[in-house]
Amino acid sequence: MRALTVLVTALWLMLSAALAPTAAAATAIADPDLSRLVNQLAEGGFDEVEAAIGALVATGDDRVSSILDKLGSGDLFVRKADRVVVLTEAAGRELKLTDPVTGADLGMVPKAAVEKIRVNNRLRRTVAAAIGTLTLRSDDPAVRRSAAEAVMKSKDASAIPALDAAIAAEPDEGVKGVMIAARATAVMASDLPEADKLAAVETIGDLGTRDALAMLTSYTGLEGPVGEAARKAATSIESGLLLWDAAQNISYGISLGSVLLLAAIGLAITFGVMGVINMAHGEMVMIGAYTTFVVQEIIRTSAPGLFDYSLLIALPLAFLVSGGIGVLIERSVIRWLYGRPLETLLATWGVSLILQQAVRTIFGAQNREVGNPSWMSGSFMVGELSITWSRLWIIVFSLVVFAGLMLVLKRTTFGLQTRAVTQNRSMASAMGIRTPWVDAFTFGLGSGIAGIAGVALSQIGNVSPNLGQGYIIDSFMVVVFGGVGNLWGTLVGAMTLGIANKLMEPYAGAVLGKILLLVFIILFIQKRPRGLFALKGRAIEA
Amino acid sequence: MITGFLLNGFDTRARIVVAILIAIALLVPAANLMLPPDHPLHVPTYLVTLMGKYFAYALLALAVDLVWGYCGILSLGHSAFFALGGYAMGMYLMRQIGTRGVYADPILPDFMVFLNWKELPWFWYGFDMFWFAALMVVLVPGAIAFVFGWFAFRSRVTGVYLSIITQALTYALLLAFFRNDMGFGGNNGLTDFKDILGYNVQADTTRATLFALTVLFLALFFFIASAITRSKLGKVLVGVRDAESRTRFLGYRVENYKLFVWTLSAMMAGVAGALYVPQVGIINPSEFAPANSIEAVIWVAVGGRGTLVGPIVGAITVNFGKTWFTGVLPEFWLFALGALFIVVTLFLPKGIVGTVQAFWANRRRPAAPASLAPEPAE
Amino acid sequence: MTDKAEGTLLYLDGVNKAFDGFKAINNLSLVLAPGEMRAIIGPNGAGKTTMMDIITGKTKPDTGDVLFEGSTDLTRLDEAKIANLGIGRKFQKPTVFESHTVEDNIVLALKAKRGAFATLFHQTTRAEAARVDELLATTRLTDKRKMLAARLSHGQKQWLEIGMLLAQEPRLLLVDEPAAGMTDAETAETAILLREIAKTQSVVVVEHDMTFVRDLGVKVTVLHEGTVLAEGSLDAVSSNPKVVEVYLGR
Repeated sequence: MRALTVLVTALWLMLSAALAPTAAAATAIADPDLSRLVNQLAEGGFDEVEAAIGALVATGDDRVSSILDKLGSGDLFVRKADRVVVLTEAAGRELKLTDPVTGADLGMVPKAAVEKIRVNNRLRRTVAAAIGTLTLRSDDPAVRRSAAEAVMKSKDASAIPALDAAIAAEPDEGVKGVMIAARATAVMASDLPEADKLAAVETIGDLGTRDALAMLTSYTGLEGPVGEAARKAATSIESGLLLWDAAQNISYGISLGSVLLLAAIGLAITFGVMGVINMAHGEMVMIGAYTTFVVQEIIRTSAPGLFDYSLLIALPLAFLVSGGIGVLIERSVIRWLYGRPLETLLATWGVSLILQQAVRTIFGAQNREVGNPSWMSGSFMVGELSITWSRLWIIVFSLVVFAGLMLVLKRTTFGLQTRAVTQNRSMASAMGIRTPWVDAFTFGLGSGIAGIAGVALSQIGNVSPNLGQGYIIDSFMVVVFGGVGNLWGTLVGAMTLGIANKLMEPYAGAVLGKILLLVFIILFIQKRPRGLFALKGRAIEA
Repeated sequence: MITGFLLNGFDTRARIVVAILIAIALLVPAANLMLPPDHPLHVPTYLVTLMGKYFAYALLALAVDLVWGYCGILSLGHSAFFALGGYAMGMYLMRQIGTRGVYADPILPDFMVFLNWKELPWFWYGFDMFWFAALMVVLVPGAIAFVFGWFAFRSRVTGVYLSIITQALTYALLLAFFRNDMGFGGNNGLTDFKDILGYNVQADTTRATLFALTVLFLALFFFIASAITRSKLGKVLVGVRDAESRTRFLGYRVENYKLFVWTLSAMMAGVAGALYVPQVGIINPSEFAPANSIEAVIWVAVGGRGTLVGPIVGAITVNFGKTWFTGVLPEFWLFALGALFIVVTLFLPKGIVGTVQAFWANRRRPAAPASLAPEPAE
Repeated sequence: MTDKAEGTLLYLDGVNKAFDGFKAINNLSLVLAPGEMRAIIGPNGAGKTTMMDIITGKTKPDTGDVLFEGSTDLTRLDEAKIANLGIGRKFQKPTVFESHTVEDNIVLALKAKRGAFATLFHQTTRAEAARVDELLATTRLTDKRKMLAARLSHGQKQWLEIGMLLAQEPRLLLVDEPAAGMTDAETAETAILLREIAKTQSVVVVEHDMTFVRDLGVKVTVLHEGTVLAEGSLDAVSSNPKVVEVYLGR
């Protein structure tokens, strides 16, 4: 009962809040008075017009901004006969006149009966600023906010009084903040006394955003206390932004980590679970990317409407194509080489050369571009962080793939058989598990996952026959660093290396950062030859 | 002591191979320089240089075989040592250009002037002297291999793990040498060489001499490798390859043995690179590419690892095939190379020379089935 | 701790080793006098091999003392150092250098300087050659000296490995299942060979084969779940009810 009361009260409050501004939007000034002021726009030179604009703005009437807007765009006319300002609308050879204040029909006249109120650039600016000021009092908070932002850009000192009034009346805290900032920028551009400017610097400094920093930098060169205060505020913003920068780099790092995870996770299966060094793993990624390319080409020519779904169509296909090739490689080459890891390495390198050259022969050596569907384009801001949709989706996707693979290995019969074969091949075989098929399908699974990694990677770079080569060493590093035979290790390894790489980049540069990371891993493997999450026990030490 | 060691290495097979190599070193330049161009046995200069390149590769293959075939260390990073030796030689050749460069700076190589460098970086000092550069050709790869191996072998990184970090090593160096601010000419590397020891590198006589030197160095290192593999140390190395822990429990410090042969092999690869660069006239970061290292491994596998003649045969055969293919069917070369990797590992694990040896051993001793012969473990 | 260890050849006290929570060795204590021969028996997983690993430096114990000759702490040394102290080890699975000849296998094992440069310039001396002949005779491999070790039969490989052990001239031999995979006649001969060796050196033999242990006729230590269950003559331990329970399952 009590909850209901609260709910009803809340609803009522919300309703009244929504209705209140509408009620308050009554005309601030009687029609005739407003009409008189509007007519002033057609009198005298530009100076007089400017004064008239000021007078109009001072009324604070809601209708003023649309009238001024017409003035600015040159759509306001004056009737020659009585110097009454009118709106016109072409109607055949004649013009239909309307009263700008009341909207009343003023009848038809020939074109020659009216003349345009001329404006120059200075007036246009005045009009724009005036509209900005006026919209500061709009009913819509979004309009008020953009009005304040407009003042921030124009740095129009004349808007200060209007802003003061708006700030006093502003109910929305967020909008109020923007207005205060806008006022501060206007103050900085004005010839107000030093004390005001110091206060303004402080206000801007408190914002702590990149924009605020940009505003301040135009004053840090000034002499005297204002310049000093600006410098101080700028430094404090910069140190605050460092955190955001670090957060941005970490976000890049997570994004790189998820790419590494996608590339490495298939390898973690073939290398970690099966002990097979597959140097053609990168080519499986590359084939997945080319599958995406082919799917998009077919969609482009035959069903353009499906373009946004192209990746969803490509995912299962890439899995099947890469996985199928993987099974083929396992059955034809790798199965003869179990227990001879170094020779597997050489043979699969041979496979990788053949696959690269095959793709080059079919698709050509040049880069192919795979398009982004609309839901993967663009970016958005979180605070000072800029996040692109494609990167975000790849992070999500990599985690989904990881979780899915975990489920397959831990919860399905196939996963159970794979683990059994990994631990004791002859025992598994004695238990009736068809080990050759388990080998083939495990290898196919690893390759198929590489294929769907290719679909994702096609979204963040060009697709070329050498695509896989760029990922193979990194992927091996991830698997070895994380610990062979442990998928969690692969996840942690990928994220650690991704983030470490991006955190080092600003200081060491991209290439040197990468080199340092490789050196670090080389040293790390010396210290912990079995990686972060190594399996322990007598069995593997043998 | 040392004479005993050297005599050990000079068995019949080594004598035959060294004699053949010396004959090649003398006859090919003679056929190039002394016979008139229309003579049927005349060897054109481009062919001399091409073969010189092959023999430099053969020396690299010999170095790879010494660690892989005899000690079981599969290096996927030997192109790094090859390239480092090449860069040391390239730096000497750059300093010899002097004022004949495009910018005519007496000290700074062209690329430094282009990058607006004012002074020669410290690590370029001394490279105007041949003896210093020659020393660096072996010392730099040797030192890097020593430090790397000291860490890796001590912490008992073996097998595929070692292979992968050797690959990471050469990859890291590849990235480093691509950087302009490293001071090695960045992407373009070092090129436009003029003189070596005062002789024009383009001249026929210089090219013939470089060829002869390459083959003679190969003969020298073949002889050294033969002596090493026949010494007790060589037997310990094979022991490490076949049963590392047994060797350890016999009281041998396996890491020191590995470090010795690894460092020596790196130095050999450095010499190979130094001989290669003046003949091809350029050294750039692509020589560090991991793919090159793996190609060197396949030369050894094709020829026969664990035999000293094998890598030489393999390097020359495969590279001849590469030249032929890229001339006739360029797009098929990678198919052929890829197939070679697969076919050799699946069907010819002992390589050409190993298979021939096993065949002869069988002919001589028909009672002993060949299948019982041990295969070199990894 | 050294007081109790004084005068012993091998001294293990309170040794523990766990793999991922599994206690392979649990508070193990074992003392071996100089010149003694000891047989160690125990069911699978009793920790016999892990104990060997700990003594030879392959595995480091979590806690406990492992002393050689009463004073040398073996837990601080690596395999090569321990081997050079005079502890030789034969593996469960015969491990010889298969692509070397029988003779070269022995030559590599001969007591000599183990440094890389020493072996690089090494020339076989007459004394060494004589010692090789002697060892080949002892292990009955003289007529196979030029044969590759890979071509030896399983039993011959076991013998070659024992020969390599002797070539090291160790003070303590650790022999893991020397009779595994041998015919009865070979097993009996192996026992004779080991008894011969035990005259001059200390030997620890790990074995499953009770007939073989009986042939050796030495003090027996029974290991179970990483700890010593019983110690004494074979007859004494085999009548021990705890041992009977472990071996026969109640």
